[in-house]
Amino acid sequence: MRIWVTGIGVVSPLARGAAATMERLVAGDRAFAQLSSFEIPEARARIAAEVAGLRAADVAPPGEDEGWSRTDAMAVLAAREALEQAGLEPRHADIDLAVGGTTAGMFETEELLAWLSRDPAAITPLKRMLSHPLSSTADHVRAALGPFRRVRSICSACSSGANAILLGAAWIRAGLSRRVLAGGADGLCRLTYTGFGALGALDPGPCRPFDRRRVGLNLGEGAAFLLLEPEHEARARGAEPIVELRGGAIGAEAHHITNPEREGTAASRVMHDALRRAGLTPADIDYVNAHGTATPLNDAMESAALRRCLGADIDRVPVSSSKGQIGHTLGAAGAIEAAITSMAVARGIIPPTVGLEEVDPACELVHVTRAREANLRAAMSNSFGFGGTDTVLIVAQPEQFPPPPGAAPVRRSVVVTAAATVGPLGVLGSHGSDAYLGPGSAPLEQGIDFKPGDHLDLARARRLDRAGRLTTVAIQTALDDAGLGEAARAEPALRSGAEIGAIVGASFGSVDASTAYMRRIYDKGAKYASPADFPNLVPSSPVGHASIYLGLRGPVFATTDLGATAESAMSTAIELIVAGDATIMAAGSVEEASPMIERCLGPVCSGIVDRGVRGEGASVLVFENEERAHERGARPLARVAWWSAWRGDGVHALSDAPPPDGASSCVFLGREEPRNALCLAGSRWADIPRRVMAPRVGDHEGAGGFAAAAAVAAIMRGDLSSALVLGGAPDRGYAILLVAPGRA
Amino acid sequence: MSDQEVRQQLKELMVSELNLEGKKPEDIEDASPLFGEGLGLDSLDALQLAMSIEERFGVRIPEGDEARPIFASVNTLVEHIVKSKASA
Repeated sequence: MRIWVTGIGVVSPLARGAAATMERLVAGDRAFAQLSSFEIPEARARIAAEVAGLRAADVAPPGEDEGWSRTDAMAVLAAREALEQAGLEPRHADIDLAVGGTTAGMFETEELLAWLSRDPAAITPLKRMLSHPLSSTADHVRAALGPFRRVRSICSACSSGANAILLGAAWIRAGLSRRVLAGGADGLCRLTYTGFGALGALDPGPCRPFDRRRVGLNLGEGAAFLLLEPEHEARARGAEPIVELRGGAIGAEAHHITNPEREGTAASRVMHDALRRAGLTPADIDYVNAHGTATPLNDAMESAALRRCLGADIDRVPVSSSKGQIGHTLGAAGAIEAAITSMAVARGIIPPTVGLEEVDPACELVHVTRAREANLRAAMSNSFGFGGTDTVLIVAQPEQFPPPPGAAPVRRSVVVTAAATVGPLGVLGSHGSDAYLGPGSAPLEQGIDFKPGDHLDLARARRLDRAGRLTTVAIQTALDDAGLGEAARAEPALRSGAEIGAIVGASFGSVDASTAYMRRIYDKGAKYASPADFPNLVPSSPVGHASIYLGLRGPVFATTDLGATAESAMSTAIELIVAGDATIMAAGSVEEASPMIERCLGPVCSGIVDRGVRGEGASVLVFENEERAHERGARPLARVAWWSAWRGDGVHALSDAPPPDGASSCVFLGREEPRNALCLAGSRWADIPRRVMAPRVGDHEGAGGFAAAAAVAAIMRGDLSSALVLGGAPDRGYAILLVAPGRA
Repeated sequence: MSDQEVRQQLKELMVSELNLEGKKPEDIEDASPLFGEGLGLDSLDALQLAMSIEERFGVRIPEGDEARPIFASVNTLVEHIVKSKASA
């Protein structure tokens, strides 16, 4: 099956609009100017590539802009342009949405959080908090242009936008989506500006990618979306392809939270993988749009990785980085650069690397410092993020190459081979998590009694914050249970079989740590921003740390979706395996005890005002390709018989769910909420017994992950033959049907 | 502040700021290398340490290559802090 890109939308620091951005890139213009969105006394750099004159009010419904962010504004404009270019009306019913990002409404809420932390009695200006969670960007794109059916918010730091595009492609290849609007958006904020400053990663002047004198990056902001559809769907409605999205790959370096692996072996492996999945070889690649941040480490690593991957073709393939013109747009970068790469191929023009004057001997490549025309049959776009999350996309001229491998949509079967929870009852493996189904007391207000030293080598885990440790212990326990712990720990050279990936998110990110980080800056100045704390504030940091500690080298990222964060991660893992993009995935969520979430974010964003003790905990299930699990002799504990994700009130969402299996079925819920009843009403699952986890595990956003783990344990014991894990949050829901492994 | 006081405070700072779990300030040797084989610190630790030394002692540590000899060991760091404070 070929996937066509039929629409591109870009909001960049150079221009609003994809074509206008490309023209200015080709002209060699640079967008750097004095930072104007905010002031940071004592900041190490004062320039940035901003999207000028854009406010949330420009896209928000009249009177509603208080809960919207600048990131939302960029996302909506770019998404609308992509739809328009594809010839699709907004409100089109049959489109899915995948959005990558890192900061969402941090700019709009960071001062507020610092202020709230100074004055615990302060009344929360509730509406503005709506823009804080990562998922708010997707929610607001949906509000402006929806309905959208399946919606996902993804973070893998600076490769987020590229990962969203690959997830969209996976949905199409698995036959789950007819059209996907996929991309990323990220607005500048004080947190990222001071954080990259603290890391010594900012160039005070315009940056110099691949130059001998390069000292760092410049930050930018923006958004981009691609409209993806399978060739036959596009043809059926008379749409033209801009380029073909051949495919790509996601992989983790399992090396260091901020520094790339110097030799570029992991990045080169992901490039190789991307080429293989695209059905191409280095000889087919005519252009590389590099990550090219202009930091000393990235550019040397990326050059080494390109040399390893492209071999002799390294002397032929032109390479350029757009970051010398638009800066590093973080969570949007992978999407913006995918858009630029696509336009380069479609127009036959190579955009330049601006700022490069004297090539670093460690970065000897075919550099392009002035735009030039060339026939580009296929091109590669690289994105690398904190935690060592590498993503590589490949686009090509339509029809230039035979269809990529796996021509027809194939849906692979998915089994669960382990479950683990870290909660009020301690660290429990597959057997144990149904302990929460028995009678017992409510969890304690102050969080769980979790002793990381009992499970982790603290010298190695010293950089992990509480969320990182909870996540790592949950994944480690589950992998050991699945008989995969040793495989993950083996030296890369000795590894056999598939790489293990992980998807774990937190509903609101590390709110309290972000607040504490910003308080230091407001109270003491930007020079006291903590370089060690900053990387832990990225939504994907807990799972990134876990991948480094445990040696996970498959797809590693976070998904977040308010009170359905665990369900969104599990669904995404299932989808990647179904599409053949992953083989073994640990997936779930982590929630820390958090005064800020209890006080303001939970009530306003999740619409939960009156609830029990929130508590904290982490949970993951291990999902595997059934065939591959069988090959390695694993014993499946349950099979994924059906799953669904939806937006809206959930009425009729279960209409195509397989029926329950009489007396040995059960519905597992994280939290008891009216929307669950609405969803179950009228379905064949309406009268099935329900078990609710929150009263025992804590009334937190990750309770749904515990519900899934308890369901697995109950099936494993033979108490149940099928279990429907149902979870949701305002305007969204997920359902996963787990059945005993032998059952159809 | 005496050399000894600076040394003690610096080691306490290292344990707390770098989360050297399970280590006590007296476990950190004065002359051992901080990076690589010695204490096993890396560039991110160096940044965090430089920031917290400035916060605690009011002493700036230069960036880049100039920082290398200063970060060689506890001894060299103490020497830099004491010298900078004296000339301030």
